[in-house]
Amino acid sequence: MLLCAALTSAFIFTACDDDEDAAVPSGDVTVNFNALYDGANLTVQSDVYDYPDGSELKVQLFQYYVSDLELIPANGGDAVQLSDILLVRYNNAQEDNVDSYEFNEIPAGEYTGIRYGLGVSPDLNSMDPNEFDADFVLNDAEFWPGNARYVFAKIEATVDLENDGTFDTGVSYHMGSNDIYSTVTFNAPITVSENGNTTLDIMADVQKALAASDTDFHDFSDESQRIVHGGNQAVAADIWERLGAQFTLSVR
Amino acid sequence: MKNLITLFALSTLFFAFGCEDDDSGMMGGTDDDGGSMITSIEISGPSNPTSYNLEVPSYLPGPIIPEDNPLTVEGVQLGRKLFYDPILSRDSTISCSSCHQQQLAFTDGQALSIGIEGQSASRNAMSPVNMVFNPNNFHWDGAHESLEIQAIHPVENMLEMDADWEEVEERLRNHPGYPQDFRAAFGIGNTNELTRELATRALGQFERTMISGQSRYDKVVSQNDGFFTELEEEGKQLFFVEFNPSDSISHPGCSHCHNAPRFGDNLFHNNGLDSVASLTDFADLGLGGVNGNVFDNGKFRTPTLRNIALTAPYMHDGRFSTLEEVLEQYARGGHGIEGESPFLTPFELTPEKQAALLAFLNTLTDEEFINDERFSNPFE
Repeated sequence: MLLCAALTSAFIFTACDDDEDAAVPSGDVTVNFNALYDGANLTVQSDVYDYPDGSELKVQLFQYYVSDLELIPANGGDAVQLSDILLVRYNNAQEDNVDSYEFNEIPAGEYTGIRYGLGVSPDLNSMDPNEFDADFVLNDAEFWPGNARYVFAKIEATVDLENDGTFDTGVSYHMGSNDIYSTVTFNAPITVSENGNTTLDIMADVQKALAASDTDFHDFSDESQRIVHGGNQAVAADIWERLGAQFTLSVR
Repeated sequence: MKNLITLFALSTLFFAFGCEDDDSGMMGGTDDDGGSMITSIEISGPSNPTSYNLEVPSYLPGPIIPEDNPLTVEGVQLGRKLFYDPILSRDSTISCSSCHQQQLAFTDGQALSIGIEGQSASRNAMSPVNMVFNPNNFHWDGAHESLEIQAIHPVENMLEMDADWEEVEERLRNHPGYPQDFRAAFGIGNTNELTRELATRALGQFERTMISGQSRYDKVVSQNDGFFTELEEEGKQLFFVEFNPSDSISHPGCSHCHNAPRFGDNLFHNNGLDSVASLTDFADLGLGGVNGNVFDNGKFRTPTLRNIALTAPYMHDGRFSTLEEVLEQYARGGHGIEGESPFLTPFELTPEKQAALLAFLNTLTDEEFINDERFSNPFE
């Protein structure tokens, strides 16, 4: 509904513009969300990865919501919103580790960076999923029971704790609530050229979310640390904190 | 310009047939190879379908209606007739409704569906309920991208209707009523335009109207109408609990995959049914058999639990006769093999907890839906 109103307003505004040549110069921006594990491209389901405790794991699912993806203008003006909500998801070994989004007609110019909310912004998080169509990312069964509040991010993996070649220990971290919503900001010069295409690569490393170092990592051997759904969010507080801190950006 | 050319072409086609000398307006015969040509008869009657007002309760998601197949009164009506008409099967003995019976929430009570001549199909009949909220990957294995594509297959499946769509199209073209119905629904002017694509579009339209949202669960939770019993409330708590403070592992976790209000997640899981030595050893590969991803072997679509008390037997192969068996299976927590959902963890299922979960599951039965005249057999 909001989008519809915005588009309608944009149409009326455009239609009333006497001077067609006065259109704002613009270009396209592609944002690639890349998933990594310890610096290498992540392949879910199939690839085996080392964990600092000496075990091995296969990542089954990695996903997170991105809210209010915005470019920050160098001239100090209002941020240019690329998207209000995205769901970045990796759950299929047949797909690559890049979730790409192209945004068109972005005002050309200089920007000092890009920012986004990790999770679902409080405004959207207060909405009933059923206000959206069944195929919209905010009605994709990614909410806690009760139809309110979304699961901001999920990391699910199967772990071979005994090093017997069997990935039979499930770990599942579902995280999200308004109090942990956080903003990721990159300060980097970004140029959007008229009729050009600027590519931004945002990297998220699952290993860096699970482990800070070879000695500081989330403990899968402790059964109480393996499943985080709903009420025991505190168990995954370290994962959430590291997840938000580990993103990197590359501008092309 | 492209549209103009299309319009011109259609006009030419219309006039070509409209100017046919034969007063009957009928063309037929054989082609150069001696094969039968499609029946070509002008169709008269209403041809301006009326938009269908789909009523969706506010507590259910916004519906997904494909742009190329909007709901119309006439299209839904035609789809309903086709759904119940055995004309789609080779020997005209079974229809869609043979395996999708309204009183069983459009399932059939069989472990594996029964096709023509008593043949067993390969899977359990799914309940085509609330399909209007499913964006894609229909069927147990996600083989079909849309309801329309899905509807093509049972007609041709030798274990189901075992018909030839060309033969079915000819039956429909020569039927005393269907040509007018197709014209009313899709505006066609000649029987040679009556195709399987239009038939499946009509079936898709009808199926999208089959919305179940008036169960006791809906009334209590979303309509402030009545209360759960103590046992139902206990079952609801068990069903939806995400976290057990005393034991982070041991809880049913039903809602991980069967979250309200759809009670399904439009995803595919290995829900721990079979202990196999390797991912290639599943008797039915499920999603992996469709997409070729071995890591998806043994994964099947999460079915909705709406009307679950009516849709026994359970699972893709109907292996469990009762919901009690299903709960006991989940309480065992799977087999610890690769690919199983990480949500599968053993939990204590006392007789009291089982009774409570069953009581809650029974609140998902929608009596209004299974008695709704709009979805009933139009030929009775």
